[in-house]
Amino acid sequence: MHQSELNHNEMIHRYLNELRRYLVRLAPHEAQEVIREIESHLFDVMDQQTAAGQNPDVAAILRGFGDARQLAALYVAHIEEGAPPPLGFRAIQRMKKSVTASLYFTMAVFGFSMAFALLFVAGAKFLLPESVGVWSTPHGNSIVVGFVSVPPMATPEVMGWWIVPVAAALAIGVALLTRKVLQVLKQHM
Amino acid sequence: MNSTEALMEKWEVQLRKGTLELAILAALQQRTLYGLELLKLLQSLPSTTITEGTLYPLLDRLKRDELVDAQWVQEGDSRPRKYYQLTPLGTQKLTDLTGLWRQSVIDIEFLLANPGPQPLQKTGA
Repeated sequence: MHQSELNHNEMIHRYLNELRRYLVRLAPHEAQEVIREIESHLFDVMDQQTAAGQNPDVAAILRGFGDARQLAALYVAHIEEGAPPPLGFRAIQRMKKSVTASLYFTMAVFGFSMAFALLFVAGAKFLLPESVGVWSTPHGNSIVVGFVSVPPMATPEVMGWWIVPVAAALAIGVALLTRKVLQVLKQHM
Repeated sequence: MNSTEALMEKWEVQLRKGTLELAILAALQQRTLYGLELLKLLQSLPSTTITEGTLYPLLDRLKRDELVDAQWVQEGDSRPRKYYQLTPLGTQKLTDLTGLWRQSVIDIEFLLANPGPQPLQKTGA
């Protein structure tokens, strides 16, 4: 592959990535459809210019689409506008929006804090191995999980070093799940 | 650019904006086209020249309004392309807009063809 071809692909890739970022308010399959069509157009024009013996002018083609943010705004305009709610329902709409926004920020703080706490537990095991773990009483009446200043007396620690990968995996899982939930909530804000 | 040219350009932009939907529906009349073909067709006519950044979001809106339908088609080794065609609702809208457009042209032609100072005497429809 020639250097110029690599540059062209890089420019297209960068533009489409930026566009994808601004299309986040669309449903994922709708955003993917938009990207796919624009990508098909870009490569089609490049092929036609090459077939005509010209050097593909990717910058000019991208100029035709305009700024990625403005282009995305045209695609999401219908979400912004929506159908006007009947009179008397506007207060409910406003309340719904504000509840969704509160839920969004609460979810973000809660989810990412949980993920951070789990990562902290995984890391702390290396620094204070005796204070981090999962302790269970002999008859299973109670269980202590996490980071304690004084390990419970006469109770065996059950996970050992396994707590590190388990807590790290849980942290990643919680962070990904939080991100997914936030994406869904953002579409309704 | 002087003020007259700027005004003319502004007027052209407004006219194009107002007629763009009709132009796209008319271009797709009894025809199936993909985005680039449609763009080239519109760009080949002086008063319907638009950019990619205007065409594609508008096609997306027409599709959401169920005035056009679209399918991905791959022919031979070529890249898959999204082809657009009118839906029955789109055909009906084209008929309605065509009626409005033709009436506008008739009315404006009438005004242009009958300058003052004599008073206008419109007869018939």
